[in-house]
Amino acid sequence: MQRRTIQNLSLGGFSTPLVFIITILIFWAFSPGHRFLDPRNVAAIAKLTPDLGVVALGIGVLMICGEFDLSIASVLPTCSFIFTQLLMAGVSPFVAFVLLLPIGAVFGLINGLLVVRTGLPSFIITLSTMLFWRGIVYVASGLMPISILPYIPTGSPFAQMLTGQIGPVPVQLLWFLGIALVLGVVLHFGRLGNWIYATGSNQDAARAMGVDVRLVKIVCYMIVGSLCAFAAMMQATRLGSFAATQGIGFELKAIAAVVVGGTSLRGGVGSMVGIALGVFIIQILENGLILLRVPVFGVNTFIGLAVILFVIINNLTNRQLAGQGF
Amino acid sequence: MSATSSANGQELLKMVGIHKYFGRVHALRGVNFSVNRGEVVGLCGDNGAGKSTLIKVASGYHMADAGQIFFEGREVKLRSPKDARALGIETVYQEQALCPHLSIARNIFMGREPTTVLGLLDQSRMNEESMEALASMGLKLRSPHALVSALSGGQRQGVAIARAIHFRAKLVILDEPTIALSVKEVREVLDFVRHLKDQGVAAVFITHTLHHVFSVADRIVVLAHGCNLVDIRTKDTTVDELSDIIARGTLGDAAPTHKPESEAAAAALAQQATCEEDTEAEQEI
Amino acid sequence: MPLLARFRSIGVLGVLLLLVIGAAALTPQHTFIQEANLKTLLALGPEFGIIALGVGVLMVAGEFDLSVGSVLTLCGFFFIWLVGSGLNPFVAALITLVSGIAIGFVHGLVVVKARIVSFIATLGFMLTWRGLAEILTAGVVRSHNFEQYPLFTQLVTGRLGGVVPMQLIWFILFAVILYFVLQRGRFGNWIYATGDNVEAARAMAVPTDLVKLTCFMLVGFMCSFASLLQITRTAAFTTHMGTGWELQAVAAAVVGGTSLRGGRGTMVGIFLGALVIMVIDNMIGQARLPYEWTYIAFGLVILGAVLLDLAVEKQVQRATA
Ligand SMILES: Nc1ncnc2c1ncn2[C@@H]1O[C@H](COP(=O)(O)OP(=O)(O)OP(=O)(O)O)[C@@H](O)[C@H]1O
Ligand SMILES: [Mg+2]
Repeated sequence: MQRRTIQNLSLGGFSTPLVFIITILIFWAFSPGHRFLDPRNVAAIAKLTPDLGVVALGIGVLMICGEFDLSIASVLPTCSFIFTQLLMAGVSPFVAFVLLLPIGAVFGLINGLLVVRTGLPSFIITLSTMLFWRGIVYVASGLMPISILPYIPTGSPFAQMLTGQIGPVPVQLLWFLGIALVLGVVLHFGRLGNWIYATGSNQDAARAMGVDVRLVKIVCYMIVGSLCAFAAMMQATRLGSFAATQGIGFELKAIAAVVVGGTSLRGGVGSMVGIALGVFIIQILENGLILLRVPVFGVNTFIGLAVILFVIINNLTNRQLAGQGF
Repeated sequence: MSATSSANGQELLKMVGIHKYFGRVHALRGVNFSVNRGEVVGLCGDNGAGKSTLIKVASGYHMADAGQIFFEGREVKLRSPKDARALGIETVYQEQALCPHLSIARNIFMGREPTTVLGLLDQSRMNEESMEALASMGLKLRSPHALVSALSGGQRQGVAIARAIHFRAKLVILDEPTIALSVKEVREVLDFVRHLKDQGVAAVFITHTLHHVFSVADRIVVLAHGCNLVDIRTKDTTVDELSDIIARGTLGDAAPTHKPESEAAAAALAQQATCEEDTEAEQEI
Repeated sequence: MPLLARFRSIGVLGVLLLLVIGAAALTPQHTFIQEANLKTLLALGPEFGIIALGVGVLMVAGEFDLSVGSVLTLCGFFFIWLVGSGLNPFVAALITLVSGIAIGFVHGLVVVKARIVSFIATLGFMLTWRGLAEILTAGVVRSHNFEQYPLFTQLVTGRLGGVVPMQLIWFILFAVILYFVLQRGRFGNWIYATGDNVEAARAMAVPTDLVKLTCFMLVGFMCSFASLLQITRTAAFTTHMGTGWELQAVAAAVVGGTSLRGGRGTMVGIFLGALVIMVIDNMIGQARLPYEWTYIAFGLVILGAVLLDLAVEKQVQRATA
């Protein structure tokens, strides 16, 4: 009669770490010469992951609160473009850095306002802002890369701050973990976090309990915007230039990471640890597939399938948790 | 639990030992429920008592995890709302089961649309018959083309009930049809229910307002925590007595002071005892 | 409902006329209304338009399909590959159409059975199918001489009476059929009900899962049909077919008065909305704006359409309240 719910519960919580370990094992076993766990490859993953990862952390928070943001793929290069323009205008990189975080937040604010004021599905709104900003950055830059090495030479203090190395550990990774820690504390131990979960799981109830649902959403969008600006600068510094193609595909990969991290597509469920692990899983998948000599464009096929499969598994375990009803 | 399939010809619907789980929630714990032909049964109980779940089982929306259902004396398996409708069980759900952006006519015929030879909707027939059905309930609406979103709450219930009558239901289930309605609208809905009874259609009427149910029901069944609590004829009890029992959610405390006044109440008391044993037994697992 | 819907369609018609007049007036040397361009518009546009019709119906049922561009590409690959391997084009076309329907079935199944939000599921499939086409074609540009099948090309990309492009005929034909299915038929009533209030529809014994599944299959069919048109016209396959169409199709439906929340929309509106998008796309080309401008334009168009729809909905609510 009684169902073994305890078992189901732990399965739901374990699936992300389990997938994490399994992907590592698979790629270790099958990559030619076990190159996957080669220190150089591990270092490369540690350096590359934070670009997407930092943005994905924000997207995770936003999705827990029940909304999506697809415009990150364009906001990121736009921020990067503004950053290079500031540098070219003679602004010190540190000042530009400080200026850019609120600028990123403004992009988020625009999305957030559009979403809460219209009450329309956020993926449509942010798809259209994605197109809009992409057009702007393409037109403004003429699609030409702009080198920032003259302003931020390799090894300069600013470059050290964002992309340097502490011992064997890339600074990017530390930033990523640090931001995850801060957001984790906010999400799991703060009042705002409580409101975010409430907004995501049942808006009306949250509103009835006096949570300013609109404000919560706007704040989440602004967090995403700022993180986009941060990732834009980190990536531009690593690449030594602005590129109009920065951030392309991030909108999907970020959602993929967050979903693989066990966050519900319907909001209200998710954890920072899961999201951070999800980011690594997606990056490892991409890296591992390339090591396995899957053609670059084929990687997308697998990421697309991985998302769908993982959501199916997640839904199945969740459904067992919640019973068959809906 | 003992299950008898004998029907005395009077019994229209009989549900025996119904269990329903939603994951960890054991929403129905062996509920027994029956409705006789042409009888209006009031179904009461606190929030979450399992009223909606019970009638959703009866209307094929949910499948019971255990238990038997008999209709007109024969055991039936209700796998979907379609099965229930085929038997003549129509349901007006608590969450208003109408499509707000569709016209009244399209709503009344939802899922059973008449078509012309070409396979297109027979719109003139839909319009005519829906106006007739509404008129037979004393509902005068301007046009069958009006969108449901433009109707008042009482009118919407009227449309939903008209739908049931029009398709010659034998049993109409109404889940809190008077919720969120004005006093005047409540009176309208209660009139609709009397209309049903006049036409010999049986009804199950769920409500939290005992006064509503007392004015139309022949018999009242009370659930608590997914178990039967009371099953009594309306004329054998009073609003005060019932509201007392519902508020307390158990007969246990009431028993010493209040001797069960009728056989039905006594039977209910016994039933509740078994149900609670079940509950305790399960908690040990 | 009929009255409001009609008003809404007249609004779209107005937008369309304004656009056409604007385009005629503003394009350099008025190229927009010259015969050559009109012919191009009415021959190329329907490739997108046909898909938009399917997407519109799916949106009325309350779901999205963002994978249309990729399904178009994959079906295009199937078609040129089959024809290239010597198959009769009619047989190849049939297989392509069936595969399109099968892909739609997969989408529907994932949405209905695995209960994944449709826009995420189809976003995933968007990556999957285009990637698959890229893997299968292995970077080889494929082309094929379709002139050897005069009957087939005549049917698909010919001109009726030497004037009217067949593509336009197909586009209108599909619109008419779907009009009857959606607005005059029994199944159409179920589509509206499913999009408007799934629970209510289910309670009234409408097979909502089947309805959604069918609508996804319709979109798959429309994508594969459009791939036949495009491959036959260009006689070549690239993996960039239909990029950006997923959003433009949503825009077309929304411009035509289809609700993003499902349950509302008309075939006339969707048809006109598709024409609006076709004209805008053509205008950008005619105005010799760099391609990048299309992003800005469509971003604004979608946002504008969505906001317009919101305003209309608010008015409707106020009128009925
Ligand atoms: N679809 C579902 N999934 C999970 N739990 C459910 C579902 N439907 C009902 N329940 C649970 O089953 C129990 C009985 O609910 P039900 O809706 O039948 O109560 P009710 O008597 O109709 O209450 P109310 O007066 O509030 O309508 C509750 O604990 C409820 O939370
Ligand atoms: Mg209820």
